[in-house]
Amino acid sequence: MSTATATHHQDDHHAEHPTGIMRWLTTTNHKDIGTMYLTFSLIMFLLGGLLILAVRAELFQPGMQVMQPEFFNQLIGVHALIMIFAALMPAATGFANWMLPLQLGAPDMALPRLNNWGFWLLPPAAILLLAPFVLALLGIGDGAVATGWTFYAPLSVQGGIGTDFAIFSVHLLGISSVMGSINVLVTIFNMRAPGMTLMKMPIFAWGWMITAFLLIATIPVLAGGVTMLLTDRHFGTHFFDAAGGGDPILFQHLFWFFGHPEVYIVLLPVWGLIPHILTTFSRKPTYGYKAQVYSFWAIGILSVVVWAHHFFTVGLPTPALLYFMYSTMSISLPLAVLFFCWIATMWRGSMTFETPMLFTVGWIILFGIGGLTGLVLADVAADAQYHHSYFVVAHFHYTLFAGGIMGIMAGVYYWLPKMTGHMYNEKLGKLHFWLTTIAFNVTFIPQFFLGLAGMPRRIPDYALQFSEFNMISTVGAFVLGLSQLIFVYNVIRTVRGGEKATDKVWESSVGLEWTLPSPPPYHSFSEQPVIK
Amino acid sequence: MATSIVDYKVVARPNHSMSRKETFRVIAVLAIFSLSIATAFSLLGAWLVFPFAGLELLALAYAFHIVLCHADDYESITISGDRLAIEKQHYKSTSQVVLNRYWAQVVLKETPGGEHRLWLRSHDKEFEVGRFMSDRQRLVVASQLKMRTGAVYQGAI
Repeated sequence: MSTATATHHQDDHHAEHPTGIMRWLTTTNHKDIGTMYLTFSLIMFLLGGLLILAVRAELFQPGMQVMQPEFFNQLIGVHALIMIFAALMPAATGFANWMLPLQLGAPDMALPRLNNWGFWLLPPAAILLLAPFVLALLGIGDGAVATGWTFYAPLSVQGGIGTDFAIFSVHLLGISSVMGSINVLVTIFNMRAPGMTLMKMPIFAWGWMITAFLLIATIPVLAGGVTMLLTDRHFGTHFFDAAGGGDPILFQHLFWFFGHPEVYIVLLPVWGLIPHILTTFSRKPTYGYKAQVYSFWAIGILSVVVWAHHFFTVGLPTPALLYFMYSTMSISLPLAVLFFCWIATMWRGSMTFETPMLFTVGWIILFGIGGLTGLVLADVAADAQYHHSYFVVAHFHYTLFAGGIMGIMAGVYYWLPKMTGHMYNEKLGKLHFWLTTIAFNVTFIPQFFLGLAGMPRRIPDYALQFSEFNMISTVGAFVLGLSQLIFVYNVIRTVRGGEKATDKVWESSVGLEWTLPSPPPYHSFSEQPVIK
Repeated sequence: MATSIVDYKVVARPNHSMSRKETFRVIAVLAIFSLSIATAFSLLGAWLVFPFAGLELLALAYAFHIVLCHADDYESITISGDRLAIEKQHYKSTSQVVLNRYWAQVVLKETPGGEHRLWLRSHDKEFEVGRFMSDRQRLVVASQLKMRTGAVYQGAI
């Protein structure tokens, strides 16, 4: 008698795949969908960057130079919405799609069709966000949403049709995020290779798991908030209208209950990928795996109980101010554990500084500045001075550009050879890093000083005393924007050809994804890996 | 030679790294978390958060439900005596087909992607097997079945 038991993922949903445009429209393959997310993210990143370069051009000198104040407000709001919802979040989801199945030893994401729908909601959402600009040119409406990305009532209740378009866009983006989160959770929990316990998972999967938890917890709050806004605008309700018995501050609670965890939704996947890069280029195992996982959890939980520090100045009662101040500051404890682990991973390692590592080291320093300046804003007394100033603008760009986008770029350089099968141009990569890092600091360090000197954010004109720093900041912004073209060129060049990448790509890379060929075959694991 | 002893048996199941109990725990934790938030905001007047939280949890539960529905799926091929039995469980339905071992043919076809699909054929009917097997496993099972079925097996007697 001969008996055997086979255990393998079922993988019959795309045994034969279409080619051409239909491949991309109907694909359920995680790598194709990951590529679409990353491409969409790059396009929106460039578009969002263009919008803010127009803003910086206006701010180059005091006085009104190139646009009307209303258009200035629209550019700022749409820039933020695009960068957060259409550039950063899809980039992280793109990495999740590409890498989670490879890292977990699964042939695909758990719910491939849901995955396809999740992506294809994004382009209509982006069109909704941008369409009011075009409609205004045709004489319809008064342009895009002009409230900033925060939609604060009562301003947003009074805005034009751009606000309605933005509300529907946010709904679509939210549905897409929830679909992605559900897929990530089901994949992580159900499709790990035999032997891969949760505490043996790659740390990137941990970062994404907590991101998915946060999205599921907070997206309904945003969705509820913007829907209430919509009913206030068109259906005669008074949720946020004080004259009708409503409360405009309630909107701020609703928005920031989503908005603050959103920062960690963007950052946690990056915190997950950074240890992989540090381990590879320091040639050492990740220091403090468990400490990092527990810190992720601590930060995830704390992130949903600190939201009101974004509006300390609205007149919250003193006990609330104290609670939100101390709870916000307490986030620095698990974050400090993460910084310690990242530095300890590098400590006495045989470090080399290829482009992903350069971006990672730069990321640690710049994101550290973002974290420290966040502590300043967490202080109620200090925040009263700095609230709504350029100090806040500089702080969150150190957090979201340095902490988010530079981390994503580190990930792109790290995984691009695996994805494409070609090595990128190292010289161009390093040039991109140095130009980005220097130009980023030239752009945003002056904004700290502008904020400290009292320049408010979201104004198209300013007092003469702020001229020099604004001029420097604008020059930095244009160099920063132009230097991203090097990145685009390098990525396209790598996709099209170049030096062949080995399966392992990097000398000390560790993980299941590096056991597959570069690029991985259409069906990732024809043989189920087993983790010991 | 007819005998009731099982000569060959292979069982293939999909990989599931989480048990039913753990799945319920994950859904429960998320539901408690999300509904607590929705309740708190509803009490503050923002009741529109509640339907969104509910819809989202329904979608989450449904996603896990789809996966759980297939947690017990399996395929087995059993050869005993002159019987070759193919048993499949898909969702909650179990089906069994019995072929005559001496008439059964093993059919292996290569897909455009370079992988192989495996069928057992008898009397103008084909039954695909190996959905839960890797390509290598399908090839191994195909060669094992070829040695135990049809003319080859008869010749071996």
